[in-house]
Amino acid sequence: MPGQLYKSAAIVGAAEANEIGFLAEPKTSLELHIEAIKNLSNQTGVPISKIEGVFSTGWSSELCEHLGIKPKYIDTTAVGGCSFEMHVHHAMAAIHSGIIDIALVTHGENGFSARKIGGRGTGNYGRGAGVASPAAEMSMAYGLGSAPSNYAHAMVRHMHRYGTTTEDYAHIAKVTRDWATLNPRAAMYSKEKHPFGGPISVAQVEDSRLIAWPLTILHCCMVADHGGAVLIASPKVAAGLNTKPVWLAGAGESMGHANMLEMEDFTATSASRSAEAAYTMAGMGPGEMELAMIYDSFTITAAITAEMLGLAAPGEGHTLWKDGHAAPGGRLPINTNGGGLSFNHSGMYGMPLLIEAYRQLSGTAEDGVHGDVGKQTSARTCIVNGTGGALSTTGTLVLVADD
Amino acid sequence: MTYNKPIPTRGTHTVPFWEGAKEGKLMLPRCQDCNRVHWYPRFICPHCHSTNLEWVEASGEGKIHTYAVQHLVFGPWEPEAPYVTAYIDLNEGDRMLTVLRGVDPQKPEEIKIGARVKVEFEQANEDTYIPFWRVIEE
Repeated sequence: MPGQLYKSAAIVGAAEANEIGFLAEPKTSLELHIEAIKNLSNQTGVPISKIEGVFSTGWSSELCEHLGIKPKYIDTTAVGGCSFEMHVHHAMAAIHSGIIDIALVTHGENGFSARKIGGRGTGNYGRGAGVASPAAEMSMAYGLGSAPSNYAHAMVRHMHRYGTTTEDYAHIAKVTRDWATLNPRAAMYSKEKHPFGGPISVAQVEDSRLIAWPLTILHCCMVADHGGAVLIASPKVAAGLNTKPVWLAGAGESMGHANMLEMEDFTATSASRSAEAAYTMAGMGPGEMELAMIYDSFTITAAITAEMLGLAAPGEGHTLWKDGHAAPGGRLPINTNGGGLSFNHSGMYGMPLLIEAYRQLSGTAEDGVHGDVGKQTSARTCIVNGTGGALSTTGTLVLVADD
Repeated sequence: MTYNKPIPTRGTHTVPFWEGAKEGKLMLPRCQDCNRVHWYPRFICPHCHSTNLEWVEASGEGKIHTYAVQHLVFGPWEPEAPYVTAYIDLNEGDRMLTVLRGVDPQKPEEIKIGARVKVEFEQANEDTYIPFWRVIEE
């Protein structure tokens, strides 16, 4: 029996900023937001003035002011890259309860441009630490910095527990790059687009520069510029639009910890719980998923998440890529846009997951802008999972195509 | 030599920890109701939600839970790279983060998860002694 929120709302449009990737001329996060929102309005035919609820990481009031709208529902959940999957969950509840009919979920983050002009703009995320945080007090002496310095510990524990190897995970980077070569919008689409773009081999992944052993740079996502937005609508509103709805069948969210110091099991995330909630709401299981969009901040993130979502047995997540199932033409395509590893990752990657899932299930993943021949799959169902923080928080959605 | 790495900014409820460290003691918060220790130090027991907490001296021994080798580093730790970071399972329960001593960062495969470690303290300034963990030769 599907849950109460089953198909209570649909994604009715998904759009990106005009330019994404490593922008030659820097842009601000706000600019990336607005470009995506404007494009979304044009795509769906829904005027910005009709938006009733705004969901974004910490940004919502500033965005509403900038757009000159007075929303009925404001959400600023900012718990890392999975926040956008949670925003969709919250928007479903707000629509189901009758508070709103149209919700905007939006993202803008100048991860690359910030090097030149500052203002990464990740909302409040990451600013909770400091003097008042005992977790920071007891961690700050020990030379950990950016995300890979943390995530490497999970990979080592996974290798210890299951006997997996760096080569196993390297297949994830290789296959994900193969998808990127089918997507002209991907930062690593080709050598012409980026000096390090185009196809890569497993050996290249293994031999690239060490960031935090066992993670080489090709096991890590990029930090580029991205803006994106999706529109969520009630069935009544969706029926009056020209864009295809992609139905929200299930949603769930959970967390394990905020600081990696509190990660109980380094080989597992809360995605097992958020996925269980999403599957239960959808009345479906992992065997019925025909596509997966999985936050791949690092190859290990994708491997563990595939296990948590029930797409592979514990310790065998990497086999989906290694055995070719996740690759173009495989039985369970994963990260068909090229992933955070090779498409785009601005710091928080939850929005690109939603956009690509919408495009695939609405049949618009191959329109000459968003994909070369071979990128559009025949999938009718998709599981989307965002992971935030240091393998900390997760949001999971089950999407189904329109009948 | 002056200690040139980040020195923890102290909170309001961790004084016994830092006072203990000065004397070479590893102090842990323990709940007087459920008797379990926890780390990092809380205002409430994360196991049973009692606020009846006390500080106890720990054995200062534990085992490696997992580790990594930091190669790309910015800031004060940069000159030390590569170095090994590790999470330590304390004998008393729960887990601490450290920069691991007594291991070769160039040979990460030789570091053993489950290897026994012992705490030691390094003086960072007049008041602060920072705990680090070292692998014990078997």
